[in-house]
Amino acid sequence: MNTSVATTSGTRPPLDTESSRRRPGRLSRVRRGARDLLRRVPRAGRICFAIAFINAAIWGWVVPPFQVPDEIAHFGYAQYLAESGKPPPGGPHAQYSPQEQLALERLFFFQVIGRPQQRGILTTNEDRALRSALAAHPSPLGQGGDTSITNQPPLYYAIEAIPYWLSPSQDILTRLALMRLVSALLAACTVLAVFMFLRELLPGSPWTWTVGALAVAFQPTFAFLAAGVQGDNLLFLTSTLTFLMLLRAFKRGLTMRRAVAIGAIVAAGLLAKLTFIALLPGIALAILLLAWRALPEGRARVLKMAGTAVAVAAIPVALYALLNVTVWNRSSPTAGAISGATASVLPGGGVITLHQTLDYTWELYLPRLWFMHHAYFSEYPLWNTWLNGSIGHFGWLDYTFPGWVYTDARYLVYALAALALAAVVQLRRRIKPVLPIFACFAVMAVGLLGAIGYAGIRYRMSSGYPFEQARYLFPLLALYAVFIVLAARGAGRRWGPALGAALVLLAMAHGLFAETLTISRYYG
Amino acid sequence: MSKAVQKTRPTGSQMRVRIVLGLALAAVAGALILDASGRAPRGAGSDHAASALFAANVPGGEIVCQPDAFLSDDAARVQIQIGTFGRPVPDLRVTFVDLAGTPVASGALPAGGREGLVTIPIKRTRRAPASTTACLHIGGSSPVELAGEAGPIIPGSEVVGGRQQPGRVSLTYFRAGEESWSSLLPELTRRFGLGKAAFFGDWTLPVAVLMLLGVWVAAARLLSGELT
Repeated sequence: MNTSVATTSGTRPPLDTESSRRRPGRLSRVRRGARDLLRRVPRAGRICFAIAFINAAIWGWVVPPFQVPDEIAHFGYAQYLAESGKPPPGGPHAQYSPQEQLALERLFFFQVIGRPQQRGILTTNEDRALRSALAAHPSPLGQGGDTSITNQPPLYYAIEAIPYWLSPSQDILTRLALMRLVSALLAACTVLAVFMFLRELLPGSPWTWTVGALAVAFQPTFAFLAAGVQGDNLLFLTSTLTFLMLLRAFKRGLTMRRAVAIGAIVAAGLLAKLTFIALLPGIALAILLLAWRALPEGRARVLKMAGTAVAVAAIPVALYALLNVTVWNRSSPTAGAISGATASVLPGGGVITLHQTLDYTWELYLPRLWFMHHAYFSEYPLWNTWLNGSIGHFGWLDYTFPGWVYTDARYLVYALAALALAAVVQLRRRIKPVLPIFACFAVMAVGLLGAIGYAGIRYRMSSGYPFEQARYLFPLLALYAVFIVLAARGAGRRWGPALGAALVLLAMAHGLFAETLTISRYYG
Repeated sequence: MSKAVQKTRPTGSQMRVRIVLGLALAAVAGALILDASGRAPRGAGSDHAASALFAANVPGGEIVCQPDAFLSDDAARVQIQIGTFGRPVPDLRVTFVDLAGTPVASGALPAGGREGLVTIPIKRTRRAPASTTACLHIGGSSPVELAGEAGPIIPGSEVVGGRQQPGRVSLTYFRAGEESWSSLLPELTRRFGLGKAAFFGDWTLPVAVLMLLGVWVAAARLLSGELT
C-alpha cells in the first residue's frame, strides 16, 4: 500500500529487506514465464479460449441460478468449504445453509425443476420478496448434510471458494454469479486443451485444431454445464489435459518435466471427481508404454521418471485420504464414495451379480445380444441417452428441443461417422504411428464406459431411477473433437476445411438455438 | 502493389470456406428470424403450483380462494384445469384481491365449455400488489375438481368454502392475445434481470446478445482466416 502511494508520487521507498529486494525479480520471472507460455499457444488457440470463455459466461447469464444439474449441491459444498475450511461431513443433517435454502425457496427453485411449464421469478414483486428475505442475512454456514456429491473430493470446491471469498458482496446470488465464471474459465481451458491436443495429433493441419476446439466450445450441453457451479467442469479439464499430456509425451518422449505434469494432472483429476478413477487403467497402460519407449535412455532414468509420475499423482491423493479419516472425520479414506457407488447388495436384500453388470453395461451402449435375457432399457440408450442427451436435455433434464431435431441428428451422425471412417482409411499410414497411444486412450474410454455401467445398474436397481446422463461421457471430449476433425478430413483435402467450417457453424447454431430454447423455458 | 493484391487474394480453399460461412450464417439468421416471428400466447407467470393432480374439490355455488396467487402486471388471462365429471363447465367468476380485500382484477367465463383447461379473461382495476389472493366462484350446483398440487396445510394453501384445505390450485397467467418473441423482447429483457445477482438488470439481455454477436463475429473471422 505504502509502496504504491510512494511510487505514484515519484518517491520510491527504500527497499532494504531481502524479500522486498527479491520480489520484483520473482514477479518478473513469473510474468515472463506466463508470457512465454502464452506465446507458445498459437493465436488461433488464444482466440478459441476467449470465445469459449465468453460463450460459457453468456450461458451463465442465461441460465437462472441453480438451474444447472446438481448446482444446488455443488454450490452447497463450495459454500460449506469456504465458510468452514473443510469439506462437508455428510450424514443426516440439513443439506444446505439457511441462506441457500431461503434463496432456493424464494427463487421457486423446487417448483421449477422438472416442471417445464413453471417459471421462477417473473415479476418485480417476486424479485423484491427474494431480496428482502436475503437482506435478513440468514447464515451462510450449514451443517453439510448428505447430497449427491458430498463424498466427492474437494479440489473444485476449493477453487470455487476463491471467488466466494473475493466477492465484494456477501449476497448469495452475487457469489454464485462470480463462481459461475470459474466454471466458464475451466471450460475455456478445456477448449484450449482440446486445441493443443489436436495440434499435437495433427501438426500438419492447423485448420483442424480450430475446428475441433470450436466444435467443443459451442457444444451446448458442454456450455450449459459450464454455465453453472458444477464439479464436472474440472473433471472435463483434467481428463482433456491427461489426453494432451499423454499424447505429447508419446510423440516427443517422456521427460522428467512431462512425467511431473502427467502426475500432477492425474492428481488434480482424482481430487476433482472420483469418476477420474475409471481412466486410471488406461493412464497406467500409457505410462508403461511411455516408459518402455524411453528404455533406450537407461532403465534407471526411466524408472525414476515413471516413479515420479506415480508419486506426484499418488501423494496428494494419499494426503486427501488421510485428511478424510483424521482431520475431517469423514467416514472412510474416500468419504464413503467408493463403497456407495460399488455396493452390490440392494436395500431389499438382493445382490447384483457380475453377469448382470456386464449385461447392463453392454446394453447401455450396444444392441442387446440373443443370450442377454434381461432387457434393462425400453429404448436404445445409444440414441436416447447418449446422442439425444448430448444434443440437449437441458435444465434438470426437464426441457428439450422438438423431437425432429433428435431424429434428424441421427442421420447427421451416420454421415459424419461414414466421413470419419473414410478419413481413417485415407490417413491410415499417418495414424499407424500413434496407434499404441490411441490403444491406451481406448482403454481409458472403456474404463469410463464400464464405470458408468457399473455404477448405473447399482443406482437404477436400488433407487428405480435412471443413472446415466450424456455428460458422463464428456471426459472424452478430446476424442469427440478427433471425431469431428476426422469427419471434416473425410471430405477430402479440397472440401475438408469447408466442411469443418460448416460443422463449427452447425455447432454454433445448435448452441444459439439451445440458448433461445433456454430463454423461452425460463423467461417466456 | 500487384504483389500486395496477390497476397490478400483468398485461395480457392478460403473462398469455399467463406462461401460456406456466408450461406450458413444466412441460413441461421433466416431460421432465427422465422423462430422469433412466430406468434403464440405468451406466459405471464403463475402461482407456482403445477397441475399435477386434482387438488381441490369445490361444490357448486362455492368459492375457492388461493392465497399467494402472484398475479403479474401483464396477466390478461388465467388458465385453470377443471374436472366436471363429464358435465359442461359451470360459469366461473374469478376475483383477485389484495391483502385488504380490495379487488385488483376480475374476470368471468360463461357456463357451457368442456372440462379440461379453461381460460378466463381478466380485467385489471389496479396494479398488482405484492400479495394477491385469487378467489374463484363456481356457478351451478354440481361439484368440480380443480388441478393443482397436494401438500400440507400452510399459509399459502387453498381455502374452499372458507376452510383451509391441504394443497394449492394451479393458476397460470397469459398475456393478452398472441405475440411473437420479437414483440415480447422488452418484457423478456425485464424478466431476464430478475432473480439474479443485484448487479444484473435490464441491461443484461441486450449486453448478452451483443457479446454473443461478438463471439459469432470472432468465430467466423477465425474460421475464415484459419481454414485453408
